Amino acid sequence: MLTKILSMANIGLKTENVEVEVNVADKGFPGFGIVGLSGKAVEETKERVKTAIINSDIEFPTAKITVNLAPADVVKEGSAYDLPVAMGIIAAIGEVNLPKDKAYFYGELSLDGSLRHTKGVFLLALLAKEEGVKNIFVPRMSANEGSVIEGVNVYPVDNLTNLIRHLRGEKLIEALKSVNVEEILSDITPEFDFSEVLGQNQAKRALEIAAAGGHNIFMMGPPGSGKTMLARAMAGILPNLTEKESLEVTKIYSLTGNIPPGGSLVRQRPFRSPHHTTSQIGLIGGGSNPHPGEISLAHRGVLFLDEFPEFGRDSLEALRQPLEDGYVCVSRAAGSVTFPAQFMLVAAANPCPCGHLGDPKKECRCTGRQVLNYQKKLSGPIMDRIDLHLIVPAVDVNNLMIDKEKACGEKSMEIKKRINEARKIQSERFKKLGHIHSNSDMKNSHLKEFAKLSYEANLLLKQAVNKFALSARSYFRLIKVSRTIADLEKSEIIKEIHVAEALQYRVRNDN
Amino acid sequence: MAKYKNYLKGKGGEEMAKEFLMKKGFELVEMNYENVIGEIDLIMIDKDWLVFVEVKLKVGDKFGTPEEMINKRKLSQVRRIAESYLVLEKKKVKQFKKYRIDAVCIMLNEDDTIKTINYYDNLY
Repeated sequence: MLTKILSMANIGLKTENVEVEVNVADKGFPGFGIVGLSGKAVEETKERVKTAIINSDIEFPTAKITVNLAPADVVKEGSAYDLPVAMGIIAAIGEVNLPKDKAYFYGELSLDGSLRHTKGVFLLALLAKEEGVKNIFVPRMSANEGSVIEGVNVYPVDNLTNLIRHLRGEKLIEALKSVNVEEILSDITPEFDFSEVLGQNQAKRALEIAAAGGHNIFMMGPPGSGKTMLARAMAGILPNLTEKESLEVTKIYSLTGNIPPGGSLVRQRPFRSPHHTTSQIGLIGGGSNPHPGEISLAHRGVLFLDEFPEFGRDSLEALRQPLEDGYVCVSRAAGSVTFPAQFMLVAAANPCPCGHLGDPKKECRCTGRQVLNYQKKLSGPIMDRIDLHLIVPAVDVNNLMIDKEKACGEKSMEIKKRINEARKIQSERFKKLGHIHSNSDMKNSHLKEFAKLSYEANLLLKQAVNKFALSARSYFRLIKVSRTIADLEKSEIIKEIHVAEALQYRVRNDN
Repeated sequence: MAKYKNYLKGKGGEEMAKEFLMKKGFELVEMNYENVIGEIDLIMIDKDWLVFVEVKLKVGDKFGTPEEMINKRKLSQVRRIAESYLVLEKKKVKQFKKYRIDAVCIMLNEDDTIKTINYYDNLY
């Protein structure tokens, strides 16, 4: 008998219907074959399905079983076809009847017949909504991911036996209640606190601006001055994800299997800090079946590159286009895939190989050539895309000795409150524009409408651009940073003082 | 010694298969044909077909069914020997235009009585 079951394939973030056709022939030599451009994990489906069916106390048919995954020209990867294949066989031998309404089956089987956490359930739920399919059957561990999509009944399945009972009508599985997204997003506590960082008040202020507007920031300073600590503390002051942003991030995390079992939406802004040995593909994304890289995993969050000049030159230069456009297009022989990459770059570096160039107390031991070679890595185009340039000096020992209570700066929560308010102003401003969430996302054409400068501010800006020979891109980025500073002070119009502060971070001391 | 015992058991299986197929109206051409490449259990005639038969015998189902023992590799082995037979024994096969590979899978009870005997035609 022949049965057909719906499931899903994905190419990057694009999803597609897959029809799993199972034929159990009563004639012919017994065997089990899968066709339809299946990857290695799909080939192994045979063994899992066979054992799982036997262990669910159903007799596995001694017959010629042919499985076809249609359409045949789309590559199928992963283990999610276990459930549809198993249900196809069980239905074909007449153990159960498949549901009359269209339904998706998706999930990896364990040998004992239970279902394992499977990546991509969130994408499946989105596809179901798009296609108007009401019901999806997915592993219980991953079901929460799907339950945030309204209008789709997500049936959490523990094992094959339960699913068979459900389809026979003996013991129904209850569909999950759809979850209120805002409720999930509300309670988050920071893990690292800003008040633990001693001194460095200017750096803290710059990080606050960066977090409020989503601007890129570059920190340079001698070893041990607290660059890394500052960057890590930043995770605690990042503004809350909005509902829309959270859905975008969850999509990528579901695709890569980064959502833990039982998890639903991604609630915290991503903070990714790849090691400097990360390959170009690891950073940008790629592979023969393209996978998102670190920059996409940092979408709507922070990409922290510590020891910036130590990264491969190719990797760094590859960041140029995504930094500007907010997405990355990966083209391979199999096809081209676009991943979103709207991230905020936080980079940290030493000024020279020994780290003490420009340090008032310690002498730099590097030769001129060494310093030159080191700083060559920080190429002009990359530096031009960074809005805030920051020198993080070594901390004075007196500052460290001060009584802890006195030295304590602001708590992360207080800073975060200000940032959240600034973000609120921004999202109010960009309400009409779908894909823009923060000041740094603005395109140049938006500036006229959203970033009005006072007369004095305009004048100052003009002078500065002439004096420091700033590029056109720098000019626009300057206005965006000024906009954020104005937002932090809840000023409708950008004043001279806001531009002045933005300028102070813009101009690098070497030019 | 144990190997020899298995060999005898296999021989018995081929005997059973031969009788089973003869009852079906097959004619025996050769039994245990052997050349450099390997061995074919039975070569028989079914109407205008020349049939190469692979026989599998299992005692008890502890180690799975005999059907599971015939996989792609075994099949291609049989095919290779069959092809070499067609080349080497041109005189004998001249009158046949159609060839195929069949299988007989026999399962025995512990007391050597036949539990099941399954016949499959035209494997590929």
